[in-house]
Amino acid sequence: MSASTPPSPTAAPAAGATASEIELPVIQAPAVPFVEIEALRSREFIPAAKEALTSMIQEQGQAKLIRPVFNWAGRNSLFPLHWGLACCAIEFAAAFGARWDAERFGVVPRSSPRQCDLLIVNGTVTWKVAHKLITLYEQMPEPKWVIAMGNCATGGGPFRTAYSVVPGVDKLVPVDVYIAGCPPRPEAMLDGILRLEDLIRTRKE
Amino acid sequence: MEPGEWERTLRASLGEAVVAVEPFAGTRGRVRFRAGRALDVFRTVHGAGFTHLSMVGAIDWVDHREVFYVVWSDAAKEYAILSTDVPADQPRVASATSVWPSANWHEREAWEMVDIQFEGHPDLRHLLMPDGYAFHPLLRSFKLHEPEELEVKVRHV
Repeated sequence: MSASTPPSPTAAPAAGATASEIELPVIQAPAVPFVEIEALRSREFIPAAKEALTSMIQEQGQAKLIRPVFNWAGRNSLFPLHWGLACCAIEFAAAFGARWDAERFGVVPRSSPRQCDLLIVNGTVTWKVAHKLITLYEQMPEPKWVIAMGNCATGGGPFRTAYSVVPGVDKLVPVDVYIAGCPPRPEAMLDGILRLEDLIRTRKE
Repeated sequence: MEPGEWERTLRASLGEAVVAVEPFAGTRGRVRFRAGRALDVFRTVHGAGFTHLSMVGAIDWVDHREVFYVVWSDAAKEYAILSTDVPADQPRVASATSVWPSANWHEREAWEMVDIQFEGHPDLRHLLMPDGYAFHPLLRSFKLHEPEELEVKVRHV
């Protein structure tokens, strides 16, 4: 919480005074350091954050400051596309159930690629659906990341030599994190998401 | 109806188009016919009550290819199989879509997998594979590829 103590009344009301004569306490807005912004109430957040950011931009320069804030916001609100392909999608769905509850990491599946910044390819990608995968990837706004979930998406899996299966989605889109397993358990998927968050944390440009 | 009896009935109207009617378990029989007169056979069998086409398939026997049709008669509650052999260098047979419209997608699949040319098909293009796929993967001559050897162009729209 904020370091400021709750303001006390400057003077106790005199005995016998009427209500109109009571001197109301004056709340002094404390000078808020940047680290305590999270604890503020929402109506105080924007002016305080603006002041803190403006002073830090003047001190440190824009790029050096904005990038950590941007990465911090991005990695804590990864929105994957709700696009199930095969049996890995069952594990993907289980990760959002009560037991694993992926939403505690800020991962919320969305149904439109325009609202997503994470493409989790969960399942066997055939050549027939390959161009739709590329279309979905290109419809996502920047910055965006791709997780290849399961052996099929990683390298074709047991269908690697089949005539109809893409041997790894990295032939189609750039992949940031590979998750092994057939299918991977929800813990493995959450581990992959946390590793992607580590990647985003150290992102420079 | 016995296969022999049905063969006599079919031969009366189709003549030499019917090679033989063989017994086949669970069906009225397996009609082997000549591919050149496929449409006559289709119309005759359709007129005999087999109004539903269950499936069309094809087999690559290396020296020739076989196209077969499984038809069902609601009146007789009975299946029948029509089968024809086509040469491997000229795998052509008339399309059954004018008799049974449901042959459309089945023939598309048989064409893209086993390379059977269905003449008169209204829309013979890829069904399970992307457009521009250069192989007929269920032919015996198609080997399992290492992924690097299989060049597939992804048409991006």
